[in-house]
Amino acid sequence: MIPRWLRNSFPYLAIGILLAGLGYAISFGQLEPADFTYNNGAEIKTVDPALATGSPEGRIINGLFEGLLRNMPTGTEPDETSSIPLRPVTMGMADTFEISEDGKTYTFHIRESAKWSNGDSVTAEDFRWSWQRMLHPETGSEYVYQLYSIEGALQYNTGAIELGGIVEVEHGQRQTRTELFPRANISRGKLVAHGTWSAADGVVWAKASATDSGSGSHGHGDSEQEGDTPIEVYKVTVYSSDHILDELDLSGDSHEMLFIKYTDDQKVPESIAGEYTRCFHVLPDFQSTVGLKVSGSDQRILSVQLVEPTPYFSDLVAFYPLYPVHRKTVETHGAMGWTKQENIVTNGPFLLDDRRIRDRIRLVKNPRYWNADGVSLEIIDALSVESDTTALNMYMNGQVDWLTSLPTMIMKDLMPREDFVSAPMLASYFYRLNVDQKPLDDVRVRRALNMALDKVKITERVSKAGEIPARSYVPPGLAGYDGYQCGEFNVKEAKRLLAEAGFPGGEGFPTMRILYNTNDNHQAIAQVIQQDWKNNLGIEVRLENMEWRTFLSNVSETQFDIARAGWIGDYPDPNTFLDMFVTDGPNNQTNWSNQQYDALIESAKTLRGEERLKALSEAEKILMEEQPIIPIYYYVSKNMVSDRVKGFSANIQDVHPLHVLTVEDK
Amino acid sequence: MFAFLLRRLGWAILTVWIVYTVTFFLMRSVPGGPFDGERQLPEEVERNLLEKYNLNDPVHIQYFNGIRDIVANPIGEKFGPSIRLADYNVDEVIAQGFPVSASLGIFAMVFALLLGMTSGVISAIKRNSALDVGFMAAATLGISVPSFVLASVAVIVFVFWIPIFPAAGWGELSQILLPALCLGAPFAGYIARLTRTGMLEVLGQDYIRTAYAKGLATRRVVVRHALRGAILPVVSYLGPAVAGILTGSLIVERIFYLPGMGSHFIEAALQRDYPLAMGMVLVYTCLLYVMNTLVDISYGVIDPRVKVE
Repeated sequence: MIPRWLRNSFPYLAIGILLAGLGYAISFGQLEPADFTYNNGAEIKTVDPALATGSPEGRIINGLFEGLLRNMPTGTEPDETSSIPLRPVTMGMADTFEISEDGKTYTFHIRESAKWSNGDSVTAEDFRWSWQRMLHPETGSEYVYQLYSIEGALQYNTGAIELGGIVEVEHGQRQTRTELFPRANISRGKLVAHGTWSAADGVVWAKASATDSGSGSHGHGDSEQEGDTPIEVYKVTVYSSDHILDELDLSGDSHEMLFIKYTDDQKVPESIAGEYTRCFHVLPDFQSTVGLKVSGSDQRILSVQLVEPTPYFSDLVAFYPLYPVHRKTVETHGAMGWTKQENIVTNGPFLLDDRRIRDRIRLVKNPRYWNADGVSLEIIDALSVESDTTALNMYMNGQVDWLTSLPTMIMKDLMPREDFVSAPMLASYFYRLNVDQKPLDDVRVRRALNMALDKVKITERVSKAGEIPARSYVPPGLAGYDGYQCGEFNVKEAKRLLAEAGFPGGEGFPTMRILYNTNDNHQAIAQVIQQDWKNNLGIEVRLENMEWRTFLSNVSETQFDIARAGWIGDYPDPNTFLDMFVTDGPNNQTNWSNQQYDALIESAKTLRGEERLKALSEAEKILMEEQPIIPIYYYVSKNMVSDRVKGFSANIQDVHPLHVLTVEDK
Repeated sequence: MFAFLLRRLGWAILTVWIVYTVTFFLMRSVPGGPFDGERQLPEEVERNLLEKYNLNDPVHIQYFNGIRDIVANPIGEKFGPSIRLADYNVDEVIAQGFPVSASLGIFAMVFALLLGMTSGVISAIKRNSALDVGFMAAATLGISVPSFVLASVAVIVFVFWIPIFPAAGWGELSQILLPALCLGAPFAGYIARLTRTGMLEVLGQDYIRTAYAKGLATRRVVVRHALRGAILPVVSYLGPAVAGILTGSLIVERIFYLPGMGSHFIEAALQRDYPLAMGMVLVYTCLLYVMNTLVDISYGVIDPRVKVE
């Protein structure tokens, strides 16, 4: 039975709860209005440069951090050879850099005025450490391959150790497994022997000649360690070194140590455990194997040794994953802690002031930035509105000054507007053909499919934002590069090719399916293509849409006949497009393989200048003749920018650094 | 009463466990994973990532580890780090999202109750008048129009035609009113009809006639005597209404760009953020369960004839 007082107090209680809710909602932060608000498009995954991927993350990280160099949209006058303005690289933390004769050594000089937001100087060591952290297998950086052009980087990242090589062994003494990039207790020395231990066979050392192929870094928590899977053991001649950065003195004191890889379960018996030291990672010794050297009296010079001359290395350095992080902050606060606004230390034009998940990220001007005088905006709000329609409403209503993504449905109403800013982009929209699938294994069929497509109709009636119909994979406008064009729209020739392949008038052609991720635009394009193929070739295709991640997993397993795809260049160079179609490349996803193509891409790595571009162009010729893909159009960037914003310029990679923008009062 | 709560708690644990199990296996049976992207990751990188989030353990180990974490870890660390919001724990995401959804829900509920009950009572008293017909027509419309349509219309009218509200966002009182209105409207309609029916039934009863015969004013009869009996159906509807508002807020939060639980829930599912999705599902489960229990208890509070057992 409920006491009377409780019953009587019930209405008051209810009213009390309501008032509390009301009070809370109103009290929800009265923020100072921002100078400039833009829609970042999505909630960012992280502000940690090494772990981030994607353009929304890029916009924030470009505001918070700065690399040795920086990509700038300014100076975007188109040069004579290209129709698209190129994006020059300008100085960032470095004020000068030199490239050696052979193109394999880059030397960066960091400016003296480069400071972290807590006042510390930015040094070459910050970059060395940040890149080492990025390369460490446990960091799990998705963009880590951007560093693979540095000597020894791939080996360090994959833990490829070899007998006789110098290794670093991390002892298994962490407090928690998930400490961020732990560097305590490292033994350095020569790997003498490598083997396995199992309860049944005891320790078995591998033959001395065998080299290890990349399993050195993992093992903990591995699924196959259930049951009686052998555990890795190592014999290392450990040399004493006072400091992890010192060159290892191979003539100094040394002693032999035995290590056994750390596992969760305690199945390693006492006898072994006493003799062997537990360890987490056995990696190539970073200091002596990876091509990074710090020098100069204040550690301001960073020299980078590359495996091959990489003409776009300066573009990679200007790309946000290679921005530095503040070592002390990362080590003190660890994962998830160091990126919190109360802890984070940055070196870019802005500071992280406030962050509310899926609401906004507030950036404020960093007074310690070396070029703070050149930064005009004081407070920036980056919203993460997912719905393009909602974002457009907010823009129309004056709540937002810049939209990075627009609703396709009303594109044709937005395009003529003066605040619509657009430029060709370094990005391609194309279809992948699964060349293992009959009849797509016949190159004539693939060519016929391409030639039967009226791509102009697609860009003019469907995508409608001024996209350029594509006949090559690499977008035009890369200086000095001539791509190869695949067959143009030609129904007669397409019919002939199809008949030659054994399907006159489309007879006997199996019904194939076009796979795309659920999206109105992709669907409309697929429908036009379906119609074209039906009318021009007499073949039937089915359309099949899938939710994004389901789609991705199907494509990566090549579970499709024809699949929609898009690719945005990482850096302004044809290689970012072409190297993905080498045999078994992870982004190939068409089962296509051509040795000549592979050889050309490989040769381009060592060539320089014109010859290199020529090799790449020849590779594209093969790609376009063999046609494992059908290029459809080159993307254009689509932005809406309020007229009170100045300094916003359209460019090929659609980068718009926040620190060059200025606004007029509302 | 105590025994009742204890029994409810027992069922709650069972419910949460079943929901956990179903969610766990459903999530993993859906194709695609949290690290899939248009850009295929190199094998080594993917392996590093899986290891980092303990996703390369055998499934049964992951399953039991999840339960262990939820039971053993203190509040604030129950679900571990979110995969797609790498700077946050799942618990932090919930802590930021919950108050937003809660205040939106409370506003919507208050709006639904105030509007629904007032119009229901007026309709019942002035039965068959133009007012009654008008209210009931509006109620039917409110129930049948889905909230995203209502939201679109509301944006056109109150943001662009008569610019009194901001288009979307969160942080000011003016930004919460429009979404709360759209979210609460269908429930207001339903409550209006329930109240009207309840009132009509009660108003015909002897004790009401007695009250009138004693010479009490209409207002006093309606508010003190009739309403109490008439709102019982409304109270029992509150359980489903809370559930409806919680789930309905998924759509409204997206349209009006509110950083609440609904937004996190949708994104977690789309991005295959396993820990975050699990956290969201379990929080929703607990919320619904608690709300239903509260409604059951409140029967006993409002109607002396009901005993909570």
